[in-house]
Amino acid sequence: MDLSDVPLFALADRRLSWVDARQTLLAQNIANADTPHWQARDLKPFAATLAAAGVPLLRTDPAHLAPPGAAAPGIAAQVTERAPDGNGVAIDKELVKIADTDAAHELVTGLTKKYLSLVRTAIGR
Amino acid sequence: MNLSRALDISAAGMSAQTTRLRVIAENLANQDSTGSTPGAAAYRRKTVSFANRLDQAAGIDLVQVARIGRDPSDFPLRYDPSHPAADARGYVRTPNVNSFVEVMDMREAERSYNANLAVMQSTRGMLERTIEFLK
Repeated sequence: MDLSDVPLFALADRRLSWVDARQTLLAQNIANADTPHWQARDLKPFAATLAAAGVPLLRTDPAHLAPPGAAAPGIAAQVTERAPDGNGVAIDKELVKIADTDAAHELVTGLTKKYLSLVRTAIGR
Repeated sequence: MNLSRALDISAAGMSAQTTRLRVIAENLANQDSTGSTPGAAAYRRKTVSFANRLDQAAGIDLVQVARIGRDPSDFPLRYDPSHPAADARGYVRTPNVNSFVEVMDMREAERSYNANLAVMQSTRGMLERTIEFLK
């Protein structure tokens, strides 16, 4: 049995890669909190990504054009007030997002662990 | 894996803030360093600016110290004819270091360093929870 066939694991997989990418982006924002002209960036909310996923057009060849919306990396620049040097990172807001990402990660890993233990129970271990 | 890249980014941020703190320490330590010959220039305050650097291999934006420059503002003059660096009129050029500015800068560096550290701790927690799956 391939675990990713189970919808919950597939969802957890996507959620974890979203959390992963967001953590990297937020770490970049905070590391560049004093870099002139740096604008804070963030991923689109996971719910929006999930809703937009739907049933995409099938690409039979990687050389084909991507279906509309599929190629968008989902990274949005945020509008915040700027410092005189053009930097637009508010450390407090970024740290709140980090906490949010952390909590999301904890939820996903917790649920997955629980579900894994159910699977283990089902196979009698 | 993205999470280990996030750790790299935070580490780069922390090392940039450390360099900034070092420069602030130099400025504060030299806030009374005048010249030793008549009319000589005093210590000129150093400044730090940051820039982001794209790590080509990992595809992430790291931060680094772009340049350690010098503050071109005028030296404040102090009247002290007995000083070895006093000019013909008895004025000594003193360093253009303002300790209030330096201390504020130090606070900011500290705050940024702490923020990077917080991100690092959060990322590490995530990595640990992922590894927990094995147990």
